[in-house]
Amino acid sequence: MSAPIATRPQFAGQRIKRLEDPRFLTGHGQYVADIQLSGTVHVAFVRSNYAHAHIKGINAEEARKDPRCFAVLTGAELAQAKVFLPGAQNAPLPALAIDEVCYVGQPICAVVATDRYAAEDLAETIEVNYDPLPAVVDTLAATQPNAPKANLAFPTPGNVFFHMEHATDGIDDLFADPQVVVVRQTFRTQRQTGMPMETRGIVASWEPGTASLTVYAATQMPHGLRDTLAAALHLSQSKVRVISPDVGGGFGMKAPVYPEDVVVSFLAQQLGRPVKWISDRREGILADTHARDGLHIAEAAFSKDGLFLGLRDHMISPAGAYPLGLSGAVAETVLATLVLPGPYKVQQYAWQIDGVLTNTTPTGTYRGVWGPAATWVQEGMIERAARQLGIDRVEIRLKNMVRKEEFPYHSVAGVVYDPGSYQESLQLAMEKIGYAGFEEERRQAAAQGRTLGLGIACFIEPTAMGVMGDEPLTVPNDVASIRIEPSGQVIAQVGISSHGQGHETTVAQLIADQLGVDVQNVTVLHGDTAAVPYGGGTGGSRSITIGGGAAILAAQELRQKVLQIAGHLLEAAPEDLEIADSTIQVKGVPGRTVTLAQVAQTAYMLPQKLPQGVEPGLEATKRYTPPPITFSNGCHAAVVEIDRATGAVKVLRYVVVEDCGKMVNPMIVEGQITGGVAQGVGSAFLEQLVYDENGQLMTTTWMDYLMPESTDAPKVDFGHIETPSQNPGGMKGMGESSLIASPTALVSAVEDALGVWVGALPLTPQRVLALAEGRQEDAGA
Amino acid sequence: MVIPVETATITVTVDGRPYTATVEARKTLADFLREECGLTGTHLGCEHGVCGACTVLLNDSAVRSCLTFAIQADGQEVMTVEGLAAPDGTLHPIQQAFWENHALQCAFCTSGFLMTTYAFLKENPNPSEEEIRETLTGNICRCTGYQNIVAAVADAAARLRGEKHTQPVGGV
Repeated sequence: MSAPIATRPQFAGQRIKRLEDPRFLTGHGQYVADIQLSGTVHVAFVRSNYAHAHIKGINAEEARKDPRCFAVLTGAELAQAKVFLPGAQNAPLPALAIDEVCYVGQPICAVVATDRYAAEDLAETIEVNYDPLPAVVDTLAATQPNAPKANLAFPTPGNVFFHMEHATDGIDDLFADPQVVVVRQTFRTQRQTGMPMETRGIVASWEPGTASLTVYAATQMPHGLRDTLAAALHLSQSKVRVISPDVGGGFGMKAPVYPEDVVVSFLAQQLGRPVKWISDRREGILADTHARDGLHIAEAAFSKDGLFLGLRDHMISPAGAYPLGLSGAVAETVLATLVLPGPYKVQQYAWQIDGVLTNTTPTGTYRGVWGPAATWVQEGMIERAARQLGIDRVEIRLKNMVRKEEFPYHSVAGVVYDPGSYQESLQLAMEKIGYAGFEEERRQAAAQGRTLGLGIACFIEPTAMGVMGDEPLTVPNDVASIRIEPSGQVIAQVGISSHGQGHETTVAQLIADQLGVDVQNVTVLHGDTAAVPYGGGTGGSRSITIGGGAAILAAQELRQKVLQIAGHLLEAAPEDLEIADSTIQVKGVPGRTVTLAQVAQTAYMLPQKLPQGVEPGLEATKRYTPPPITFSNGCHAAVVEIDRATGAVKVLRYVVVEDCGKMVNPMIVEGQITGGVAQGVGSAFLEQLVYDENGQLMTTTWMDYLMPESTDAPKVDFGHIETPSQNPGGMKGMGESSLIASPTALVSAVEDALGVWVGALPLTPQRVLALAEGRQEDAGA
Repeated sequence: MVIPVETATITVTVDGRPYTATVEARKTLADFLREECGLTGTHLGCEHGVCGACTVLLNDSAVRSCLTFAIQADGQEVMTVEGLAAPDGTLHPIQQAFWENHALQCAFCTSGFLMTTYAFLKENPNPSEEEIRETLTGNICRCTGYQNIVAAVADAAARLRGEKHTQPVGGV
């Protein structure tokens, strides 16, 4: 049994409009670029123009002489000060390059000036003398024996820096069995990046009196940044305060600590004044972590009647030029191994991973991380098997899915699926998209010369990671510290950190229900390491489950104390009391009441009126550790129309059935979904970071890198199923599922429309045309 | 080679209040609003004219303040997101519609969408969904998938026409 959200949930489950919105709607949000500290100086970075080169020398004479210049900082000077970017083990990304640059956009030196315009002027005067080296850009080419080494400081055979493999006993026998049907496909995702509307940025301020550093940064993980900066600058953690003010989106890209964070903080310390750097979009596209760009060479074995018996996947994934602490090459693959079988009861399983260094921007996490590719592989295999075996696409899925009575289900990948609604979600999605009548619809459209297709993507989303092993990727728990002020107002300090998710509302909803107060009386503080206890920030769909869970537990503890004190004041047993509208009342006796404010004032000011043994004060701190993984699940379905003249794909209908357990705010859940579906349109059809053969990034503006626009995004029709989790409140994470499933649903629809198989993204109009005309292009590559 | 920078003294009326400053000729209107006027509600998302986050009204026309120089606005009227709500803080119907339809998440793009919508609904008070979507292609949002923004613009149009607004979302 999961704990109930509250005895009388009034706010949880409701479409409460967001408490944080008025400041945003009036232009009074405060993002890092809006922080204007007196005496601030501004940084511009000189970045590598070469994908691979020796740096022979740096001439910054002209910049240093300019009266607008405050400092020029090089990698050699940073190394002399023993300042490094911690994190990566074998080939740490230098905060500023010293002898060798390994990707275009790598920071080489920083120039500090009176304002950003001046800093950019001065950066242009700095001459870097390069000796170009051979570069390797393509991931597979990099693994060839004679390929150049992408990083001379970290030479490895075939540029493979990371290898893992695993196989269940008997998988070779299975694939050799003449009775099984084997389907094969190589799936290649394109290189993308999270691309939040707000670029990265940091303002660092050194306070000489206390020898402490205050940093404002657009980060998803304030404590993670605090710890890393303290280590980099050899400061104690108590001397570094990180504030993430309003953050304009992250999508995984703002989770890591970057070279610029260390450089700007060091400069603030050296100069003794505030130093500011706000990335522009071009340098963001060059130097933010890139993502995806992986190969899955997959094969699956099915029985002739459609049982999904075995899955093999060889994953090859680029780290870029330096493996970051959480490299995309590792995150996209190792985590994929946990979920590749998806909702299906696969029995035999094998995988290998090769992480590869190339002369490209380091890779990291982007929303969904391993999920979009894993879903594509798992659904791609089942689609191919269905078509080859002549089995209905829905039937074959239903036949292989974990059934309701089989939970908790121990998957072949070694993880436990908690209860979900795999079959029910698929059935509901098919009902809503009109699967039963689709062949008729397709025929009628075809009679008018129109080409329609229907796509399906069933998914599981691993969320809210708890304790996963001895090397945690994230903080495996989170915290809420709640206090009731003498006025009866509630303040909650949480370790999760919103960058658009609406925690100031959803966490308040959970707390308000426990304490019987209006949601507007709950203020949620986050994103300041000096104000909130140690927390993991926001990423990995962890916040409402872990942080919200902690908030429920802390509020429950506080509720007990409120009832205990109120019972004493009202001369009634605590179990005979109820709280509503900030008033505690003896059940059924309207006159016998005490307000929450009176209870709070008693708790702080009149300890003599407290029950025996009750401590003064009205505050509680709780930390919640969830199970290793809480699985959400669901199904996306799309109907698309292909324009055979232009290759354009129009999404006619789009259905999402989501089961994320108990929803705290369905409006916010749906907002997360529509956003992820639009990003899925980007992944399927539009977005791609393109390098030329010399390692120059060709897509450094939003005229080249196509962001989904309002006419690209479909209108989503929702279905909700709520299978409660074991977490307090019954919640499951859901921030990533929409992007985990949507690219596959859209690709599947194109495949269905054209009767082809797709093996690479994005499906640009040229590629759709080629597929429509039956041309064998690179789709299967 | 550093190019010498020319300056000019300009006066721009922003949200009804005149601001006079000496600025470099190359300073963008966006930076003028943010740095000289202290109005940081106008955001910079791409600085090359694609995303529309920096949209403001210059003499009632929506412009991208990242592609407009401050000196081009000399002697003219600019309206920013800070000028939308009534002086007593009452939200403009467009702001109210965005709030009630959950048309913002990280909200970095929101100011630009609000100003685009303001100009658009003056020209077309009763737009179809297709017209709304077509107009909004000039603004990029990474969080919402546009669905609720499109609904908010339609809702705002209905409010501004004085009709009973459509489908309010429950809540506080």
